[in-house]
Amino acid sequence: MEAHVQLAVNGQAVEVDVEAEMPLLWALRDVLHLTGTKYGCGVGACGACTVHVDGQAVRSCVTPVSAVAGKRVVTIEALGTARRPHPLQAAWIAEQVPQCGYCQSGMLMAAAALLERKPKPSDAEIDEAMSNICRCGTYQRVRAAIKRAAGVKA
Amino acid sequence: MKRRTLLLAGATGAGALVVGWLAVPQRSRLGSPGLLPVRNGEVALNGWIKVGADGAIVLAMPRSEMGQGVYTALPMLAAEELDVPLASVRVERAGNDTIYGNVATVLAGLPFHPLDDEREDGFGRAKAARWVVGKIGRELGINATGGSTSVVDAWEVVRTAAATARASLLGAAALQWKLPVDELKVRNGVVSHASGPSAHYGELARFAAATPPGTVRLKAREDWSLIGKPAPRLDLPAKVDGTARFGVDVRPPGLKFAAVRLCPMLGGAPGRVDASVASKMPGVERLVMLPAYGGSTAGFAVIAKTSWHAMRAAAAVDVQWEQRPAGPLDSARIEQQLEAAVRSGDGYAFHSSGDVDAAERRASRTIEAWYRAPFLAHATMEPMNCTARVADGKVEVWAPTQVPLMARDIAARVAGVPAEAVTVHVPLLGGGFGRRLEVDYVGVAVRVAMDAGGAPVQLLWPREEDTTHDFYRPMHVVRLRAAVEDAQVASLRIDSAGDAITPRWFQRAMPPLAGPVDLPDKTTSEGLFDLPYAFPNQRMAHTATRSGVPVGFWRSVGHSHNAFFSESFIDELAGAMQVDPVEYRRGLLRHAPRYRAVLDLAARRAGWGTPLPAARARGVALHESFGTIVAQVAEVSIDAGGPRVHRVVCALDCGTVVNPTIVAQQMESAVVFALTAALHGRIDIKDGQVQQRNFPDYRMLLAAQAPHVETWTVASERPPAGVGEPGVPPLAPAVANALFALTGKRLRSLPLNLAAADA
Repeated sequence: MEAHVQLAVNGQAVEVDVEAEMPLLWALRDVLHLTGTKYGCGVGACGACTVHVDGQAVRSCVTPVSAVAGKRVVTIEALGTARRPHPLQAAWIAEQVPQCGYCQSGMLMAAAALLERKPKPSDAEIDEAMSNICRCGTYQRVRAAIKRAAGVKA
Repeated sequence: MKRRTLLLAGATGAGALVVGWLAVPQRSRLGSPGLLPVRNGEVALNGWIKVGADGAIVLAMPRSEMGQGVYTALPMLAAEELDVPLASVRVERAGNDTIYGNVATVLAGLPFHPLDDEREDGFGRAKAARWVVGKIGRELGINATGGSTSVVDAWEVVRTAAATARASLLGAAALQWKLPVDELKVRNGVVSHASGPSAHYGELARFAAATPPGTVRLKAREDWSLIGKPAPRLDLPAKVDGTARFGVDVRPPGLKFAAVRLCPMLGGAPGRVDASVASKMPGVERLVMLPAYGGSTAGFAVIAKTSWHAMRAAAAVDVQWEQRPAGPLDSARIEQQLEAAVRSGDGYAFHSSGDVDAAERRASRTIEAWYRAPFLAHATMEPMNCTARVADGKVEVWAPTQVPLMARDIAARVAGVPAEAVTVHVPLLGGGFGRRLEVDYVGVAVRVAMDAGGAPVQLLWPREEDTTHDFYRPMHVVRLRAAVEDAQVASLRIDSAGDAITPRWFQRAMPPLAGPVDLPDKTTSEGLFDLPYAFPNQRMAHTATRSGVPVGFWRSVGHSHNAFFSESFIDELAGAMQVDPVEYRRGLLRHAPRYRAVLDLAARRAGWGTPLPAARARGVALHESFGTIVAQVAEVSIDAGGPRVHRVVCALDCGTVVNPTIVAQQMESAVVFALTAALHGRIDIKDGQVQQRNFPDYRMLLAAQAPHVETWTVASERPPAGVGEPGVPPLAPAVANALFALTGKRLRSLPLNLAAADA
C-alpha cells in the first residue's frame, strides 16, 4: 500500500508517496533523485548504499522507509559543502583514495559515522567499521585517509 | 611465415580486411578541427584539442574512465606539451571518428614473445608485423578501453596533437607581433616575449586555427614538468561528494525504470510465463520479453515506476524456464573435458624451441604437475545497466561501456535503425574489468525502451542477475612437465586447455568481423608461451575448447591464471633443484636484464632472505603482461580464517611512468583484486545454473584482510606500457609460493585451499 512517508533528508522535510516497505535506498535514488547513494547488492552486504540515520551508519538497501520516518537522514550530498568539505572528504582527496568511485559514497558515510563514535580509531576499529566492499581495492588509502582526518599516525 | 600471417589475421579478428587496408600515416590521427563541436567561443585546433575563450584546454576523450585514471593521464600528456597547468585541461567525450580508435589494443593481440623486441633475430619480424597491423588498426578505428592500452595508444597521438596546437598558437603570436617564434616563451598557457607583448591561448586561438604549425617537435624528456611526477586525479572531487555520474545515475526527463530477469540456466529461455500477479503490483507498467542479445541469455524485463518496483515485480513473475537445447552446462563436467583435452596432446603450439621430445627421452627424471583455475565473474561494483530512449527513428543510449561504437552498433541492430541514428553517451563506469567490453546489456536496454512509448528507460541488473549472467573468465586446466638432465631443467612442456575468448567476443560484439573459423587466440596461452626463462627446449600448446559457457575478458585475461600455473611451477622446479626461488629465476634470466632488474628490486625491497616473525613466510613471482614486468613478494601467515597476506612488495618496469600516483593505485588495486580471486573466487555451474549469486556467496576481500602494498618502479626511458592489469598475474603464485614455504603444501588449484592441498 502506498503511504505518505515524512522524511527529513539532508536537513529538509520531504514527503514521499511510496510503499512503507520500500527500501530507503530507492526512495533516495529513484524518487528524490539523490543519486550519490549507490545500489550494489540489495542485501546489505556491500555497503555502497550507506547513509546516516540519526548519525548512525545504516545500509539503506535493507532499511524500509517506514523505519526512518521522523528520523534525520543524511546522504553523501550533505556530508560536507563545497566551501566546507567534511575533513574526511579533504583527506580522501589528499590520499587520492577513489578509483572508479562507485563505492566511495558508502565508504565515506561509514567512515564519518566511525569518527563520530571513535574520533581516534585504532586499526582494529577501522577494520570493524569499514566492512564496505571496494572492487578497485582502495582499502589501503581508505585507512590512510581515515587516520589523516582523525589526526592519528598512519 | 604462413603461420604468422594466419595468427596476425586472427589477432585482428578481421582476416578479410587484412587484404584491403589502406596506408594511414600516424599523423592523420590528429584529425581535423571539424571533428570537435565548439560552443561559447571555443576554437578547435585539431581533432583532439580545443581552446576556450579563457585559454582553458578541452581534450577529446575517447576512452572510458572506470577507475584506472585515464581522465587524468591523457590530460597530463596534453598539458605537458601545451605548457598549461593540469587543472586547466578538461575532458569532453570524443565522437566516433576512426582517429579515436585504439590501435594499441589491436597490436596487443599479436602473438609475439615479449623478448622478440630485444632479440636480433625476432625483432625484424615483430616490428614489421606491428607496423602492418598498426595501419590496419588505424583504419578500423576500434574504440576499446581495455588491454591496459589507453596511455600506450595515446602516448604519441595526444602529445603530438597538443604540441601541434601549441606550435600554431605560438605561430599566431609570432605573426601578430612580428617577432621570431623561437624567441617566444609559454608559461601556464600565456605566450610572451621579453620585449613586452603577451597573450593567453584563448586570445590567440582564432588566429592559430589559420596558422600552420610548421615543424612540430615533442618536448625532450629533461624538459618535462608534469610527466613522471605525482599529480592529483581530476575525477576525484566529484567522487567524494556524490556528484559523479555513473550509468545508473543518469536521470533524463520522463525516466522510467526497469529490471531484468534472465533464464537462470545459461543459454536457456523462458517457457510458460504467468505475469498475472506481477502485472497487478503497484507501480508496474509492463513486461517485455527478451531474446538473447550480445551472447547473453533470454528472459524478460519489467518496466515500472522505480527500480525497486521493477525488481519486485520481476521476481513475482511465475516462469517455467527451459534449458538450452544442447543440454545443461556443468562446470565439474567441463573440468573433466578440459583434462581430456590436455591429455589429447593436439593443442596448437604457440611456442616451440629446441627439441622437447629428445630432451624428455634423455632425461634422468621428469617433474610433472597439473594445475587448475575455475570460472570467475567480474562483479563490478556498479551492476550492469543501460539507459535508452527509442523515439522517432532515433536511439539515444547512456551506456557505461568500454566499447562505445559496439554499443552503438548493437543499439542500431536491435532498434532496426542505421548506426547514424544512434547517439551513445558514456558516463563514468563503476568498474569494468573487461565485463563492459560486452554489449549484451545495451541490446537488452534498447529492446525494453522500444516498448516504453518513447520514454527513456533505465534498465538495471539486480546483483543476482549480474553474477549469474556474466561472461566468465574461462576455466583452464594445464599440465606442466620438466625434464631434468645433469641436475638441470633441460625442457619445459606445457599443455593447456580452456575456451578461447576472442573468437566468441567477435561473434557477439562485432559479428561482421568474426571469421568463419576460430583462429588461434593468443589470450589462451599468454603467460605460458611467452615465458622469459632460458630453458633450452620449450613447447607450449593450447587446445581451445568450446564449453558453451559465455566467456569473457577478465582483468589480465589469460595471464590471470597462466601466471599462477607457470610461476608456481617455476617455484616447484627451484625446490627440485634445491635452489632459492629468487636465485633460481635469476639464473634463468641472464639474457633478460629487464626482468632480472625487476626481480632484484622486489627482492631487495622485501628483504628477501632476511628473518621474518615466527609463522610467516615469503613467496615470490615474476610476470610480464601488457608490456609491463611485475615482481611481487608476498608475506603470509595462517590464521583461523585461512591464509593471511600481510604485505606485498611490488616492483615493476612499465617503461616511462606518466603519473606515479596512478601507477601505485593500480598496483594496490590489482593486489586486492587478484587476492580476492586467489582466496575466494570461484563460479560453479550445476544444472545450467551459476551457483553463486551475490556478495555473500561470491566473496570479496574487505579492508580487514587487505595487505599493505608497497610499489617500486624501475626507472626507464622506454615508452609507457600498461599498468591496469599487470599487477594481477603475479599475486596468486606469490601467495601460493609463500604458503608452500610456510607449510610444505603445494596448492595447484584456485582458489587456494589448504584443506584440499596435495602434500
